[in-house]
Amino acid sequence: MEPSTPSPDNSKTPRRGFLAGVASIVIGGLIVLTPLATGIACFLDPVLRRKTKFKGADTDGFLSVAKLTDLPDDGTPLRFVLRADKIDAWNKFKNQTIGTVYLRKIDNQVIAFNDTCPHLGCKVDYQESHKSFLCPCHASAFELDGKPTNKIPPRGLDSLEIKTDTNGEVWVKYQDFQCGIKKQEAVQ
Amino acid sequence: MNTLLNWLDHRTGYRTLMHEALNEPIPGGAKWKYVWGSTLTFVFAVQVMTGFFLWAAYSPSTLTAWESVYFIQNEMTLGWLLRGIHHYAAQAMMVLLGLHFMQIIIAGAYRAPREVNFWLGLILMQIVLGLSLTGYLLPWDQKGYYATKVATNIVGVTPLVGPQLQQLAQGGPTYGHHTLTRFFALHAGVLPALLVAFLGLHIYVFRRHGITVSKSDETKPIGTFWPDQVLMDAVACLGVLATILFFTVWKGAELTGPADASEAYSAARPEWYFLFLFRFLKFEEVDKLGLEFGALYIPGAIMGVIALMPFIGHWKLGHRFNVAFTIALLAGATFLTALALKEDGADANYQAAVKAAVFEGHRATELAKEFDIPESGALSLLKEDALVQGPKLFKRYCASCHRYDGHNGMGQIPMKEIEEDGKTKQIEELATAADLGHFGSRVWLTNILTDYDKTFAPLKNAGEGGQRFLNGEMAGWVKDNADVVKKSENEQAVKSLVEFLVSQTGRTELGPFDETMVAAGKEIYKTGKLPEGAFSSACADCHGLKLADNAESLGDGAGPGYPTLTGYTGKGWLKEFIRNPAHDSFYGPEHNLMPAFAAKMTDKELEQLVNWMVGDYFRSKKTH
Repeated sequence: MEPSTPSPDNSKTPRRGFLAGVASIVIGGLIVLTPLATGIACFLDPVLRRKTKFKGADTDGFLSVAKLTDLPDDGTPLRFVLRADKIDAWNKFKNQTIGTVYLRKIDNQVIAFNDTCPHLGCKVDYQESHKSFLCPCHASAFELDGKPTNKIPPRGLDSLEIKTDTNGEVWVKYQDFQCGIKKQEAVQ
Repeated sequence: MNTLLNWLDHRTGYRTLMHEALNEPIPGGAKWKYVWGSTLTFVFAVQVMTGFFLWAAYSPSTLTAWESVYFIQNEMTLGWLLRGIHHYAAQAMMVLLGLHFMQIIIAGAYRAPREVNFWLGLILMQIVLGLSLTGYLLPWDQKGYYATKVATNIVGVTPLVGPQLQQLAQGGPTYGHHTLTRFFALHAGVLPALLVAFLGLHIYVFRRHGITVSKSDETKPIGTFWPDQVLMDAVACLGVLATILFFTVWKGAELTGPADASEAYSAARPEWYFLFLFRFLKFEEVDKLGLEFGALYIPGAIMGVIALMPFIGHWKLGHRFNVAFTIALLAGATFLTALALKEDGADANYQAAVKAAVFEGHRATELAKEFDIPESGALSLLKEDALVQGPKLFKRYCASCHRYDGHNGMGQIPMKEIEEDGKTKQIEELATAADLGHFGSRVWLTNILTDYDKTFAPLKNAGEGGQRFLNGEMAGWVKDNADVVKKSENEQAVKSLVEFLVSQTGRTELGPFDETMVAAGKEIYKTGKLPEGAFSSACADCHGLKLADNAESLGDGAGPGYPTLTGYTGKGWLKEFIRNPAHDSFYGPEHNLMPAFAAKMTDKELEQLVNWMVGDYFRSKKTH
């Protein structure tokens, strides 16, 4: 603040004027920051609170996705849809597609990939002719086990935890992962 | 540092600007009475800040407006505080507007050469009123919805172009998505932009003429805006903010139930600062003159007089007239506001309607928290909820004869008009059938056994049929057995009989049941034998009853007109009873007085009414 030239007819001592100035700035700052900080806190809500993205998974977070018998024995990947109650802010949309996954059965063991490309989030497609996963956006390519075959994606396809129950039902713990980074990091 | 500031000053001239802004001369020095304009500017700044962040979370459509506001209020970080500040700051603005206006009139600051600035101030006042009005609708709750409907209907009586104006405001022939999008565009876009523009002009013209000081101050030494007046302004703003925060923490911003066009809302009132106008329009004399007269011409004329004040002030007694007119306006508005509040305070039905609206707001919030909101909106949660719909159905279908804890289910006392000494008078409409407030509970069953006359006392208002009921067989049985029931040795046995009957209702909220008592009660029901003496006849002699848990039958009853007590007061029993109380397994066509509702109510209505009566609805830890 530029000091103002004291008017000759101003009888106030400079010391009192200085204190009044400081008090003004402190109070002024306080009353502006209070509503502003409240607003900013509310705006930061997405990073301050963990959100439920869907409801309907079992207690460990697994969703039933397919029958073991639905999967071809030769290990060819098949895409499956995951359905659950989608939570969007205040809304719950019942029985929606919340994501898609590729499942492969090898020697009766199932592996699952999130079909979102770890590069920038497009959906990869399985190409029968190349026996590989290809991303239509920036040509990321992956082997059947998820390893990248070119330098475009920062990491391999994101594998998902799975379990099979006694009824031959395959369950997947569906998660989204942060794109564009080397480490596989779940989006909270 | 100095070099940098010099560089900046050379290119922007900020030092001159700062000097201009801060060294405004104030003859006589800083004063508390000069703070009002600054507090208004501050509160507007608060509204811009909080408004922007609310905007970032608000969704204007009939299926998402209430829902997004609910989410801000109840889920988002500090959302309640953000919305509370915005809500109460809007009200603070109205108060400060009044104070600022008073200060201008009393100080004579509207006179030459400040006329134009006075008019700019009046325009700003209209913009602020517009912001209040448009903002009130945005939460799309019952309160805002019905209050705003009154305003748009007033627009509709404007001569010549009324209906067109109304439709433009509403975005269609009725309220809907486009009412919200339009109101929101005005509230968050057009009106704030206009306010900023006019506020800029207002402050510019104000600075051109300087502050209006009293005669005695004109000769005193000149002070400057910085720092003394700035400090006073800051302290005043701090006081305003503290008041806003106090109300936010104490009361919080209200959110009544989601707007429902199909539901009459008898508690419709404008926000408190428009209450005087509402009360004014309620005068019969004003009403007779037509709505456009009371709602448009008179307020228009008053605004006209205010706008002419700079000219009136030229006359000899003009300034005194202006001050008197302003004080009279304020006194009138205060009187009308007080009158409206007093009348509403004394109106039990209005209070009940307010309570119901507040309850629906809480209930919708509670249900939304538990179940999340379906795509059909929060209103559908209420429409499916027995706790909300039950009382309404009771009021509609049952309350013409029955009461519920003395009222009509919605907390209101049914009234009727009578002629007395040539005057119409409102008197309470008497019930003609039992009060169902505790229907099926232990209290209800005990009362039937011990105080039959009192339980069915309203039937004495039901004419001959009612008298027959009160002198019927069951009434006789209760009379005959009064002595044996009252014996202290039999107290536990009567309790056991009640426990047994309650255990047969299937109403889990009445549990847990005492199994020993249930077993003892069952025997009493069957045999009528008590520790000390016996009933003149056993319950089972007249009332058939099949046990809930197995098919064991405790008698087939004495035939048509002796109500079966299988699952008595439980869901299934109650449904069948309401559908057709004249059925042989209930009162029988001969004795029955109650209408059959099978054709009058839909299955869903019956289900909701019964679920409410038996207490089958979602309860959070907070409900009851």
